[in-house]
Amino acid sequence: MVGVLIRMKLAVLRHSITGMRATWMLTGGLVGFGLAIGTIAVATFDFDQPTALMDLLAVMFAIWMFGWMLGPAFGGEPVLRAEHFALEPIPRGRLALGLLGAAYVGITTAVTFTAFTAMVVFAARLGTVSVIVSIPALLLQVTLVVLLSRLTARLFGALARSRTGGAVTAVITAAMLVLSQSGWIVFIALDAVLTTGFSPGFSMVVRSFPSSWGLLAVEAAARSHWLWTVGPLVALTVLVVALLALWSRLLGPPRLARAVVRGSSRAPARERGATGAVYVKEMRTWLRDPLRVQSLVVAPAFAILSGVLPLLFDSTVFLPFVGALAALMGAVSSANLYGQDGTALWLTLLVPASEEADVRGRQWAWLTLFGPLSLVLTVAGSAMHGSLWPWALAATIAALGAGAGLLPVVATDQLVPGPDPHLNKNSPLDRGDVTGQAFVMMFLVLTLTAPALGTVLAGDRLGEPLLTWAGVAVAVLTGVLSFALLGRTAARRLRMRGPELLYLMRVGKDQDEQVGEGANLLKVMPRARRSLLWTSFVIGCIALFPQALVPIGMKLGGGVAKVWFLALYMPPGLQWPTIAVMILLGLAAFGLAGWIYATEAKRLREKLARQAEERRLRAAEPAAAG
Amino acid sequence: MNAVAEHADGVGDAPASDGGHAAARLVGLHKVFGEYAAVKRIDLTVAAGSFYGLVGPNGAGKTTVLSMAVGLLRPDEGQSLVFGVDVWKDPLRARQLMGVLPDGLALPERLTGRELLTYLGRLRGLDAGTVTARVDELLAVMELDGDIERTLVVDYSTGMRKKIGLAAALLHGPKLLVLDEPFEAVDPVSAATLKRLLTRFVAAGGSVLLSSHVMALVEQLCDTVAVMARGRVVAEGLLDDVRGSRSLEETFVDLVGVEIGGGEGLSWLVS
Repeated sequence: MVGVLIRMKLAVLRHSITGMRATWMLTGGLVGFGLAIGTIAVATFDFDQPTALMDLLAVMFAIWMFGWMLGPAFGGEPVLRAEHFALEPIPRGRLALGLLGAAYVGITTAVTFTAFTAMVVFAARLGTVSVIVSIPALLLQVTLVVLLSRLTARLFGALARSRTGGAVTAVITAAMLVLSQSGWIVFIALDAVLTTGFSPGFSMVVRSFPSSWGLLAVEAAARSHWLWTVGPLVALTVLVVALLALWSRLLGPPRLARAVVRGSSRAPARERGATGAVYVKEMRTWLRDPLRVQSLVVAPAFAILSGVLPLLFDSTVFLPFVGALAALMGAVSSANLYGQDGTALWLTLLVPASEEADVRGRQWAWLTLFGPLSLVLTVAGSAMHGSLWPWALAATIAALGAGAGLLPVVATDQLVPGPDPHLNKNSPLDRGDVTGQAFVMMFLVLTLTAPALGTVLAGDRLGEPLLTWAGVAVAVLTGVLSFALLGRTAARRLRMRGPELLYLMRVGKDQDEQVGEGANLLKVMPRARRSLLWTSFVIGCIALFPQALVPIGMKLGGGVAKVWFLALYMPPGLQWPTIAVMILLGLAAFGLAGWIYATEAKRLREKLARQAEERRLRAAEPAAAG
Repeated sequence: MNAVAEHADGVGDAPASDGGHAAARLVGLHKVFGEYAAVKRIDLTVAAGSFYGLVGPNGAGKTTVLSMAVGLLRPDEGQSLVFGVDVWKDPLRARQLMGVLPDGLALPERLTGRELLTYLGRLRGLDAGTVTARVDELLAVMELDGDIERTLVVDYSTGMRKKIGLAAALLHGPKLLVLDEPFEAVDPVSAATLKRLLTRFVAAGGSVLLSSHVMALVEQLCDTVAVMARGRVVAEGLLDDVRGSRSLEETFVDLVGVEIGGGEGLSWLVS
């Protein structure tokens, strides 16, 4: 059973990993292994206080666990699904074991396994018995995260079919996101943590997560405290078995009926003009589609939780930026706007001159939903914090304008095709992997807020309040410009490349274009690949030169001016590591850009050869027919 | 029902184009997907006022041809003219003249039928009064009003989706309807409604180009047929000329030149 399913999974992967997906998998895999090695490195840290180091590792493992539970919400459904086997006479228990076995085969599992070997490294520093205990703990822990991931996917899938469920999913997702990416707060205070440990309360919470139980056993084994060695391992085993049993029960047909949303029977509003029509359609879709409700809730939930978390440490410094964060996340979570609508694009293509109206209507609807919300959050947050007004306002306004402008551009340029909405109404999370698109959107929005924030920063440094406030004006200006110009670009793209986008959504992959000899590679490569190439190139430039080489020069030369060099804002102990991370990031981005270029060049060569062959055959065809 | 007649009279709302042109003329349309030529330089002419059926087995290239004809799929070579207007060079004028029902594509799913038609009417720049009147008539004719008024399109059955799609195609009063498999998975009652509507549309001077693999239906409705197989048109002409004295189905099987499978093997099936 397991063997058959693993072969089947590999076959599916072989056929589906092409081009773009391969690029992302490679990047993701590299970044993942980087993080895994980082986790192992933590296990080699200062060892004066084993329990402090254990707690630190426990935090890392908890982040990995939350990452696994979040994965399905962004990465789409797993390759093999229970539904595929619904009609085969296989007992659910066996199917669950088989699917679990197949789930072990994959880059993500390999990465996590590598990360969790940090436990073995930690055990090795404690003694032989601990190492022996760490092996079963490692295996159980990997199984645990795989099962948790599948179960949360199941739960989210069931919830996402109704609007309330969508909102609940959004809040849970946001909470897990905040928890898993706020781990860095711990590292700011790393030195203190390693010597004094976490506060008892925090420690207790972290140790109660199942992802820490293996560590507890390993540490207790070193002290020959057998109850605490065996206890956590037994608990972990019981939990894994229970989760497996629960999962196999859930593998049957879905139990929860879909909540049907009803429209209104009133005469539709008399909206003005074509843009107004699109606007009204979009607003209705935002409020009626569970998936859109989820995008709508996840942004403010993430922003508010991110702002509230530092309150635990009595810091309100994040509160003014909650609004800006909501706008940014709103853009990120809506980035696949066209992909979500699927092939409905055909209507826009067949109604004369409706492309501009389509883009503008969508932009206005997005602004209506996220604009007032972000501004209210900004004002409330700034009022609570009591300062940073120009920073917060400039960031929010610039992010809103950038988001509204970039929304249609990223949605068309980086479109991720998925099943049409009427085909996956019962499994709305069954969709393409939007991770790459989300990162592109985040990076671009942040870039477009730079002029406004730069102005505020300049005013702040020079002690010119007027210049500081001019940053808000710059934000308004860049916002309006991106709304107008980027929107127009998107409309033009829809007009010129509409049929190709429709094809992409229909078939799920880019159309093979006819290209001539001597074609410019950068011009003929698929749009999404080209954008990715440029984005990696720019990230590479920024990370490697201003964020790595310049700070190195400053540190070596002694003349330190922090300006916008991230490393120089870090505590002294973390400056060199930050520079190292920036160098790695820069090299990885350059590597990715080079790799895309090389593979595209190879594809172009193959395509030209194929076309030449085809022409030869076509020339021969009439003779053969005659 | 007189609503239908009124609506059918709406044929020709679109800007009149000069007479004498065929409703649709496809010239040398060609499409290759990767290494697979789906449509091989085909020509078709749909005379104005005709009811034209495009038949062929699955995978013959019917959907590809119709998509290229209406402007949803860019052809590698060839032209598509609607009343003499090039669909790919002058899309704005061509789109006024056509009403299109593609097969299996999504719609704005989270709207009710009424909201969807109103949205399209406003998008096409029709004035509010006209839109309201036409939407009322279309919903009544398609039996999509009353109890199901509040149902969102995403929850429509296949037959209801076809009907709302046809209503959307008729809304702006086109002169040519291009319908891809309009009767696929439609129940007999809805099918009868659709057939009546289309016959009246042609009787009022409109032209219809539809694809189907249900021969009986094409024989019943169409006056002109074309048979496609493996990306080529293997026969085109008036229905009676194409089928001669036999049924269209027999002619079709002959023309397509397929061997009918299912006779051999599978000895283990019921033993």
